[in-house]
Amino acid sequence: MVKTKMQKSFAIGLTAVMALSLAACGNSNNNTNEGAATNAPKSTDSGNAATATTDSGKKVTLTFQNIYPDPATPAYKMIHELTDQYMKEHPNVKIELDTLNTDQQKVKLKTQAASKEVPDITIVNPAAQMKPFVDAGLFAPLNDMLDQNGLKDTYQEGLLDYYSFDNNVYALPDGNNIEVVYYNKELFDQAGIKNTPTTFEELLQDVKILKDKGITPMAIGEKDSWTGSFLFMNILLRTNGGPGFLQDVLDGKKTFEDPAFIEAVDAFQQLVQAGAFPDGATSIDANAGGNIFKTGKAAMWSIGSWETGAIDASSVAGKVGAFQFPTVNGKGDPNEFMLAPGSAFAVSANSEHLQETKDFLNFFASEYPKKQFELKNAVGIGQKVDGDLKAAGYSDLAVNIAGLFNQVKGGDLAFDNTMNPATAQVHLSSIQNLFVQKVDSAAVAKEHQTAYEANKE
Amino acid sequence: MKVLKVPARTIAVFVLPCLLLYVCLVFVPIVVSVYTGLLKWDGLTASTFIGLGNFKDMFFNDPVFWPSVRRTLLYAVASMIEIPLCLFMAILLNRYLKKGNTLVSIYFTPVILSVVIIGQLWKTVYNPTSMGGMLNGVLVSLGLDSWTHNWLTEPKIAMFALYFVSLWQYFGYHLLIQYTGVQNIPDELYEAAKIDGADGFKADRYITLPLIVPIFKISIVLAFIGSLQAFDLVMVMTGGGPAHATDVISTHMYTSSFGSFKYGYGSAIATFLVVVCLVFTGFINTIFNRIERKFN
Repeated sequence: MVKTKMQKSFAIGLTAVMALSLAACGNSNNNTNEGAATNAPKSTDSGNAATATTDSGKKVTLTFQNIYPDPATPAYKMIHELTDQYMKEHPNVKIELDTLNTDQQKVKLKTQAASKEVPDITIVNPAAQMKPFVDAGLFAPLNDMLDQNGLKDTYQEGLLDYYSFDNNVYALPDGNNIEVVYYNKELFDQAGIKNTPTTFEELLQDVKILKDKGITPMAIGEKDSWTGSFLFMNILLRTNGGPGFLQDVLDGKKTFEDPAFIEAVDAFQQLVQAGAFPDGATSIDANAGGNIFKTGKAAMWSIGSWETGAIDASSVAGKVGAFQFPTVNGKGDPNEFMLAPGSAFAVSANSEHLQETKDFLNFFASEYPKKQFELKNAVGIGQKVDGDLKAAGYSDLAVNIAGLFNQVKGGDLAFDNTMNPATAQVHLSSIQNLFVQKVDSAAVAKEHQTAYEANKE
Repeated sequence: MKVLKVPARTIAVFVLPCLLLYVCLVFVPIVVSVYTGLLKWDGLTASTFIGLGNFKDMFFNDPVFWPSVRRTLLYAVASMIEIPLCLFMAILLNRYLKKGNTLVSIYFTPVILSVVIIGQLWKTVYNPTSMGGMLNGVLVSLGLDSWTHNWLTEPKIAMFALYFVSLWQYFGYHLLIQYTGVQNIPDELYEAAKIDGADGFKADRYITLPLIVPIFKISIVLAFIGSLQAFDLVMVMTGGGPAHATDVISTHMYTSSFGSFKYGYGSAIATFLVVVCLVFTGFINTIFNRIERKFN
């Protein structure tokens, strides 16, 4: 037994080296903001932060892995201000931020998890994506910490369910978003489009009008294949006449070869064929894809409402509105959305300082909504916020999005939050393929079904 | 060795630390990953032993596997074809330039750049016309609009676009190796040959080629193994996409292990890669031994 364990850790070590050297490539551009992003092991002190050392309390260093690398975003300011404040109030606690891009963080966490070396606090995605980690016993239940000062009640009803397994909550979400279509009013005016589309046919028409005017209709960065999937799933949510398609597949009530799925693939192909997306979309990464919209080069962007704050901070601020994804072939309800319960903070079960970590996370999560509100980034957070957005000087777009939240009548989670990773992987590249060639929709359905059956547990 | 009278035991003692390190860092992981290849394991929870199940899946049920092997081998062949060209250039440089070193250094520049930078650079070169891609821009300005492509996103072309970048990057590397090899051939040999009436390319045929064979072999092996392991460039430029169209063995292994959480399966692919590397290195060595013997 001991032997196999050792062998495993060797194998992991090897792959870790590979993965980390990869992560290191991308790292170089984030870590230039000194002291802000410290790679966990190397630095003892990253500079500006902790000053007092002579506290009687036990000296503790906590590692906080996070995905807020961009100094231009409110989220970056939020995490730095909150950790600095905590360290000032608790001189014996030092918090090291391990800051990475989303994709890098996913890989790093998986390698760390394989050797049971999860950072004290890390980031995971809800439901199916965090299940393997929970099954492996890597995360500590947070129930006691949530109950201790009413933190639990600050979260929106039902939100924590996405992070709960066997009645234990294992992570605290940083948001609760929906998928909307942002659009650039100026470009719509230029193309002479008066109303936002409410049906898929209108959407296709608008795409053609914009295209003829030489405007890229929809921004996307499909090198990171989740972006296309997120849009596709919104179409499926409509053609299925409501939420629950993937759940029905999981329950054995439907298969991927269901007409609703095939119809969604066809509709998606129409969008691609109409030239909705930028040339070479599959080689553009998600950030660059977003920038096409944020620099005013594309008219629409179908993405999670988490981008609201970033759009307001970009050069198209003030020119942007948002609408619900239209109905497809007369099916679906615009008030049903793709739901995106956010990335979430989880605590390592093997943390050397479990209590201190929980105490810090309790502080962090309690202060989180206030701080986000202050930084004008409170749209789409998963906790209740006091205060009126409009009065606090939020943009019309933010108020508009906040209004859409009130209309949510339910919806679906993203594909990779519902299905196991192996099936999700097949799905993602299958959708990516639709961007580059015309495929028989029945074949796409079959590919999904085969992958699902092969990877069923 | 005999001259120095060092007992074998002493040699063993001095070799040992390095050998141990090598065994720990190279052999043990290989053995372990062969073993992991026999498991159904997600890398997190308990594993089950499934014997050759992963290999069966890999060879018979995985639609991505064989195409990625084919692309990898093509990669290897392409980079080997480059080497005679490097040798030819090296001979020309050596013959016609007094100070070829500067030029060789310039050719060498791409090698010292990080692959990530190369990848980003060529991504912008390959960009579609609408995003100001340089290659397409040049084609358009030459009136060759119909030749423009989305180089990195058309499944049939993307892989060749990647091959080209890789060849471009390593051209200087192999040129340097060959150039050094050619320079090390003593001038007397050429002078003697000249007296015997062999000059120019004739001298190359009978002197340069036979003497350069060992160096040539090094380049071939390096190019071959290097391209079998190609990973970073593909990852940076296309990530294996669109829809696996540019997946090579190593990127497929990576997405299987880390994307699909199929750690055991990823290890099985790694095992396959190791075997292919070993077999082909052996193969190349045998061929070159024959060639060397022939020349002698």
